[in-house]
Amino acid sequence: MKIITKSEKETFKLAQKFATKLRGGEVLALIGDLGAGKTAFVKGLAEGLGVKNIITSPTFVLMKGYTAQKQKNKKAKKQLIHIDAYRLSSGKELEDIGATEYFSDKNTIVAIEWADRVKDILPAGVIKINFKILEGDKRKIEIK
Amino acid sequence: MIIFALETSCDETSAAVLKTPDTSPSLRRRGLGGGLELLSNIVSSQIDIHRKFGGVVPEVAARHHLENILSVIDEALNSAKIKPTQINAMAVISGPGLVTSLMVGVETAKSLAFAWQKPLISVNHMYAHIAANFFTEIVFPAVCLVVSGGHTELVYLKNYFEYKKIGQTVDDAAGEAFDKVAKLLNLGYPGGPAVSAEAEKFLTLKISPPCFKEGIKGRSKNLRPHPNPPLETRGGGCSIIFPRPMIKSDDFNFSFSGLKTAVLYAVKKMEAKEVKKRVPEICFEFQEAVVEVLTAKTIRAAKKFGAKTVMLSGGVAANRRLREKLEEAARRGGFEFSVPEFKLCTDNAAMAAIAGYYLSLKSKPRLDEWKRVKADPNWELT
Repeated sequence: MKIITKSEKETFKLAQKFATKLRGGEVLALIGDLGAGKTAFVKGLAEGLGVKNIITSPTFVLMKGYTAQKQKNKKAKKQLIHIDAYRLSSGKELEDIGATEYFSDKNTIVAIEWADRVKDILPAGVIKINFKILEGDKRKIEIK
Repeated sequence: MIIFALETSCDETSAAVLKTPDTSPSLRRRGLGGGLELLSNIVSSQIDIHRKFGGVVPEVAARHHLENILSVIDEALNSAKIKPTQINAMAVISGPGLVTSLMVGVETAKSLAFAWQKPLISVNHMYAHIAANFFTEIVFPAVCLVVSGGHTELVYLKNYFEYKKIGQTVDDAAGEAFDKVAKLLNLGYPGGPAVSAEAEKFLTLKISPPCFKEGIKGRSKNLRPHPNPPLETRGGGCSIIFPRPMIKSDDFNFSFSGLKTAVLYAVKKMEAKEVKKRVPEICFEFQEAVVEVLTAKTIRAAKKFGAKTVMLSGGVAANRRLREKLEEAARRGGFEFSVPEFKLCTDNAAMAAIAGYYLSLKSKPRLDEWKRVKADPNWELT
C-alpha cells in the first residue's frame, strides 16, 4: 500500500486509521530519514489505540511503554511499545533491555523507529513502513 | 539527620551523604529550607566509555554501574567520615531512566537498607533534579524548568514537596535536540557541551555572519549585515534563522523535533565546505532558538501561576547561555531566581539525598519501606 500524505497531520490521521486494524502482536518497522514523519505516525498510532499519554521521543531511554485506555477487552489491556533505534548499531542492545520479549505478545503493538539499524532482530511477519521525503511537506508512505 | 543516597538512572554511578538540620519537624514543615550540609557527593561518570557509541548503551552502562557501585559507596562514606550506623535514612532514585541502570542502584539500596536496617525513600529523578535547588531557602510558590537529555518539563511547586507538572515536551527533549544537532554536524557526544562550545566561538570570535539569502522568513529585505554587530544581535542580524517552535502557543508545552529538522534542512542546502565554516553560526542560532523558547514559556508560566521564584534544573541547566538568559528574564519579571551550582545540575546522588530529606518530612518512611521500592523506568511526574 502506497500513500502520499501532504502534511504531518495527514500522516497522523493515516496512522490513527491504521491503528484500528491492528489486533495486537504486530511489530511495525518504521524506516525513513530525520523529519520523514515516523514520530508523527507513532503519535497517530497511539491516538488510534486510545493511549492518553503524550508520546515523547524514546531516543534517550530507547524504549517507552503506554497502556491503551480505549479497551474492548478489559481483561487483556493492549499496550503500545515505542522503540527508537536511532542511536543503535545492532539489535543486541535492544535484546539487552528486554525489548524483543514484547515481539510475540498478543496484547502488544511494537513500533520501532529507525528499524533498519536493528534488522538482525526483527521477527518474521514484521510490517515494514517506509517513509520518503518528497518536495516540501509531502511524504510517501509505503506499508508492506 | 544523616541521609545516604544512591543514583544510577543513566550513566553516572553516584553516592552521597547529606547532613540535615536537627530542628523539630513542626518547625521544618512550616517551610524552613536550607541549612543542609553536603558531606560527600561521589560521581563516577562513564561518559568516556559511551562517547564512542554516540550515546549511552544500556547494557554497557549497567555493567559499569555494577563494577563501580561498591567503591563509589565506600568512597562516599569514607570522605564523609560516616559509618553505616550513623545513617538515619537512605534514598535512591528509582525512575525514570534506563531500566537496567536503575536496577543496579535500586537493588543495591534495598540490600543495604535491609542489612543496615534503615528506612529507604524512593525518589523520582525529575523531583531530585528540582530538589537540587533546595540547598538554600526557596520562596514559594515556584515554577521550575527541568531540562535534561531525556526530559523537558515545567513544574509548579506549592512548597518543597507538593508539585504539579504544568507542561512538557510533546516530542524531543531539549537535551536530545542538542545531541541530534551535534550528530548532524559531526561534533560528537555528548552534544550539549559541544554545541554550546561552538556557539560560544560565534559569540567571542568576531565572525560577521555572511548574508544568507534563502530561507529567511519575515526579515526585511533592506536588512544588511552589520559590519561589526553588537554581541547580542549576532546571528540575528542577517544569517540563518531557525524557528522558535510553539513559542506563542497557549499551553506550557514544548516541541523540539521540528527545530532539529530545520537544522537538517539548512545543512542540506549548503556545501560540505560551507557547513564546516558555519558550524559556530548554526550552533549559535540553534541554541538561541532553544533558549528563547524555554525562557519565554517559563516566564509566562511563572506569571500565570503567580510564582515568586523561577527555578532551573537538570543537565541542560549547565548550559551557560540558558542560565544567563533565564536569570535575566526572571529578574526583569520581578522573580527570585534559583539554579543549582554546575556540579549539581548533572546526575548525582546529592540531589537524591536532598529530595529524600524533604519527602521524609512529608511522611516518615517506614523501616521495611525497601520491600515496596522498585525500579520504574517510566515513572513520570504528575
